[in-house]
Amino acid sequence: MRHPVIAEGLVRHFGDVKAVDGVDLEVRDGEIVGFLGPNGAGKSTTVRMLVTLLTPTAGRAMVAGFDVVADPQAVRRRIGVALQDAAIDPLMTGTELLDLQAVLYGIPKAQARQRKGELLERVGLTAAADRRVGTYSGGMRRRLDLALSLIHEPQVLFLDEPTTGLDPMSRLALWEEVRFLNRELGTTVLLTTQYMEEADQLADRIAIIDHGKIVTEGEPRMLKERIGAPTLLIDVPTDQHDAARDVVARFGDLRPTAEGTLGVGLANGAGGMADVVRALDEAGIRVRHMELNEPSLDDVFAEATGHRLEGATNAAEAGVADEPAPKSRRRGRR
Amino acid sequence: MSTTVEVAAATEHHGGWLAQLLALARRSFVGRLRQPALLAPPFVFPLFFAALGSASFSRATSLPGFPEVDSFLDFAFAGAVLQGVMFGSVQGAADLALDIEQGFYDRLIASPVSRASIVLGRLGGAAGIGVLQVLVFAAILVPFGVQIKSGPFGFLVLVLAGALVSTAFGSLLMSMAIRTGSSEAVQGSFPLVFISLFLSSAFFPRQTMSGWFKRVADINPISHLVEGLRGLVIEEFSWRWAAQATLVPIGLAILGIAAALSANRKRAAA
Repeated sequence: MRHPVIAEGLVRHFGDVKAVDGVDLEVRDGEIVGFLGPNGAGKSTTVRMLVTLLTPTAGRAMVAGFDVVADPQAVRRRIGVALQDAAIDPLMTGTELLDLQAVLYGIPKAQARQRKGELLERVGLTAAADRRVGTYSGGMRRRLDLALSLIHEPQVLFLDEPTTGLDPMSRLALWEEVRFLNRELGTTVLLTTQYMEEADQLADRIAIIDHGKIVTEGEPRMLKERIGAPTLLIDVPTDQHDAARDVVARFGDLRPTAEGTLGVGLANGAGGMADVVRALDEAGIRVRHMELNEPSLDDVFAEATGHRLEGATNAAEAGVADEPAPKSRRRGRR
Repeated sequence: MSTTVEVAAATEHHGGWLAQLLALARRSFVGRLRQPALLAPPFVFPLFFAALGSASFSRATSLPGFPEVDSFLDFAFAGAVLQGVMFGSVQGAADLALDIEQGFYDRLIASPVSRASIVLGRLGGAAGIGVLQVLVFAAILVPFGVQIKSGPFGFLVLVLAGALVSTAFGSLLMSMAIRTGSSEAVQGSFPLVFISLFLSSAFFPRQTMSGWFKRVADINPISHLVEGLRGLVIEEFSWRWAAQATLVPIGLAILGIAAALSANRKRAAA
């Protein structure tokens, strides 16, 4: 199957609110696609339609070769779903939940037993398998959630903000697991996230959604190249802000930034930085801080939507201490 | 990918709804027993009320119209069972609402499980708790003098009635749980359950009532249900009491299950 996920003009209204407003999306077989956007952009609603939890108001979606409205049961048998907040019964043990999940998917007992052992081992929960989930840490719950979504070896895995609220180590472990699933097992993954770095590190392709519409999509590298010029961020006193803006606008396009900071895409590249410093100095503007950033997904997002991702959400700010494995290490899969 | 396809095919053949229902019922039953703090209302309170009534109203058994019993505890046993099972039903429905609140319900409906199994599995667990309650109440109160005069067969009917009553009230409350998706709303029904018990013959015989209270108790199905249960405790076995103790909850269960399944279909097809 060339495209395990196809959405065409997907729309979902909640009363007068248009949560999703005509999403077109294709996910190729064996791909990790990052669905990136701020809170309330429509990521989760789109995913909930793709996994048959919500009926689209309009449009059409095919998942694993089946229409999500006409044949939802066939879709459910072929997908794995790990939703936000790891909805796991805290009163049950990891083993009991995996057993239950195996029954829900109609997996024969012998096969279920083998799968359960493999999955617990893979997510590092063998020792904790017989403990109640209520005693698990957030990271352990997420890993169990992932194991539950994999019990039937799904063709397509939907992960809805899988690392939100996790500590750095748990986040990295989960990223590594997603890479393994994709690289070694060929599982197609659609991952929603509000973390730039997560999308950048994991996804082969990124679709950016804002106000219910996909505003841009492509490979992270290409999206960043499309932005071209690096962004110079300048912090000046508030009373000199307008004057500084007039000066820096001569050196490239002004870019959206956090409040109180000016951003300019340097038309002449990094070499233009010295010219900006000189021009600001000549204008008598006192620069408090200056920073040159290569194009990032945040710039891509800002370029596409006209504003920065809410809360400057990148995984580093959310607490990731170390860089994950470089993307090049996983390029050679299959 | 071949393994995935094999598993997908397997789910189409081995995914029997009965296996799903039993697995979900087991989860419901075990989950209830793993919340010791929540076992007090359905297990301890009714026994406390029965003991209190037995100590306070022992002379009430000589009132005109009071059924012929050896002790007030014999009379109170059926009311205690009904009270415990009804309180337990509130908790069972609240557990379902919690599944909705916490997202476990979404996990279920994102799987190929039969939609009816989600509700019926919960009810299966509730029925199991109902059976356990009758057994526990009998195990505690029989040594204190309660006699099940209808004998072993009558006791079996009482146990069956425990499961049916739990299913009946459980399904009615679960339809509320599914519609509201709020465990607080379900817990909020607790006073209604209590009032409906008081406005019945659960704690005193209708023959000793008068005025509007008696008229309400006469039309309250709980009165007829508890009198069926009580008949099995204080009299020789009779098909009349057996029918009353089982057919009333069956009737309520039919209404409740239809309402719960309908609510579930609507929620699952959001």
